[in-house]
Amino acid sequence: MNTHHVRRVLVAVAGLALCTAQALAQGSAQGSGRSAPEQYTIKPLPPGGPTPRLADGHPDLTGQWFPNGAGQGVSGRFGVDPDAIRTFDPKVTPEEPPQFRPEALAKIKSMTPTELELSKSSVNCMPRGVPAIWLQNPYTTFIIHKPGLLAQLYEVLNNWRLIQLDGRPLPKNPEPFFHGNSSGRWEGDTLVVESIGFDERTYIMPNGWYHSDELKVTERYTRPSMNYLIVEIIVEDPKVLLKPWKSAPRRWTLGKGEIYEFYCTNNLELEELEKLRQQELKQK
Amino acid sequence: MRIRNVLGTAAIACGAVLLAVAPSFAHHSFAAEWDSTKCRDFTGILRKLDWQNPHPYFFVDVKEPGGKVEHWSFQAYSPVTLRRNGTDRQVFLDNIDKDVWIRGCLSKTGKPNAAAAGTLKFSDGVLRQVGQLQD
Repeated sequence: MNTHHVRRVLVAVAGLALCTAQALAQGSAQGSGRSAPEQYTIKPLPPGGPTPRLADGHPDLTGQWFPNGAGQGVSGRFGVDPDAIRTFDPKVTPEEPPQFRPEALAKIKSMTPTELELSKSSVNCMPRGVPAIWLQNPYTTFIIHKPGLLAQLYEVLNNWRLIQLDGRPLPKNPEPFFHGNSSGRWEGDTLVVESIGFDERTYIMPNGWYHSDELKVTERYTRPSMNYLIVEIIVEDPKVLLKPWKSAPRRWTLGKGEIYEFYCTNNLELEELEKLRQQELKQK
Repeated sequence: MRIRNVLGTAAIACGAVLLAVAPSFAHHSFAAEWDSTKCRDFTGILRKLDWQNPHPYFFVDVKEPGGKVEHWSFQAYSPVTLRRNGTDRQVFLDNIDKDVWIRGCLSKTGKPNAAAAGTLKFSDGVLRQVGQLQD
């Protein structure tokens, strides 16, 4: 290692030390956090009491549900226990990646970085749709559950969905909807919702995973305790996938009911991204 | 060039440390639109707030070196995220016409005087994360 290399390493280490100090200072910002695990101020929500039940005896899924382990917002906050951020631990419940048909994989890989970005509902303000609303959504979902009916109120973009729980057959010629055409039924304490007929403008994940008109989604909901809602997703799409894909059981946690309006009225990003896309096309 | 590499290394390491401390839900890619190699500090006077979805924008008269004042716009997290992390609309409104410090990154398209804000401090000196951490 020559003198220049030594100097380079020393400066980098000094920079890292400064940044660490800054990070720790940030940790105490807003009066919330420090870096030591025992001093995290936002921790995983405990299971809470027993599963609440409706008059018909089924688990009551009612509540404001956060897509994290904390039961409150974690984005842009300091002092958050990493265990309170995720909805599942891949070491405990590993999730197999989707196995795409070769032509589907080629289509996904052909997307430029900006095309990929423009396809994301978080960028283009289109409804996330099902199942993405459970897989790629950082905002809360409010569920109102009555015997025979489940209402899902999605905070993001003020979307909503009603699901009848009488096990009615799915339509033979469904109109394509962003949230699909759904029917729910109980298997013991698990609510199973099957859906077909999806608008083809939605993506399963924000990585280019598109779907075909043959998409079928199965959602399995359980509420093992007061504070936890477990959502498992199965995606069948023979035109895109070599075999059905099953998500890990994702744990959403109970919030205190503060939900906000979210109409997308000022999306300035599309214009900028379109400029970048035109630059990419010129370079092709 | 060597110094730039060193600073780059430190900046990447810094970003890793910051991310480890302050979680950010990057539901869309910061790097697609904003240039994390062109980030800087801004100081100036907060003049205006446009509190809308999917991102609020706030407008600052930035004091550039040499005393010139430039009008800049800054993009932030969504209103929902800002409310939940304690930097809600009223916090911005209470600081109109007051000093503000911002760490932000420039647009990849070269859009003039437009940046994505990462962290900021109002006159109370509290460091607030108001956008994705970038560098």
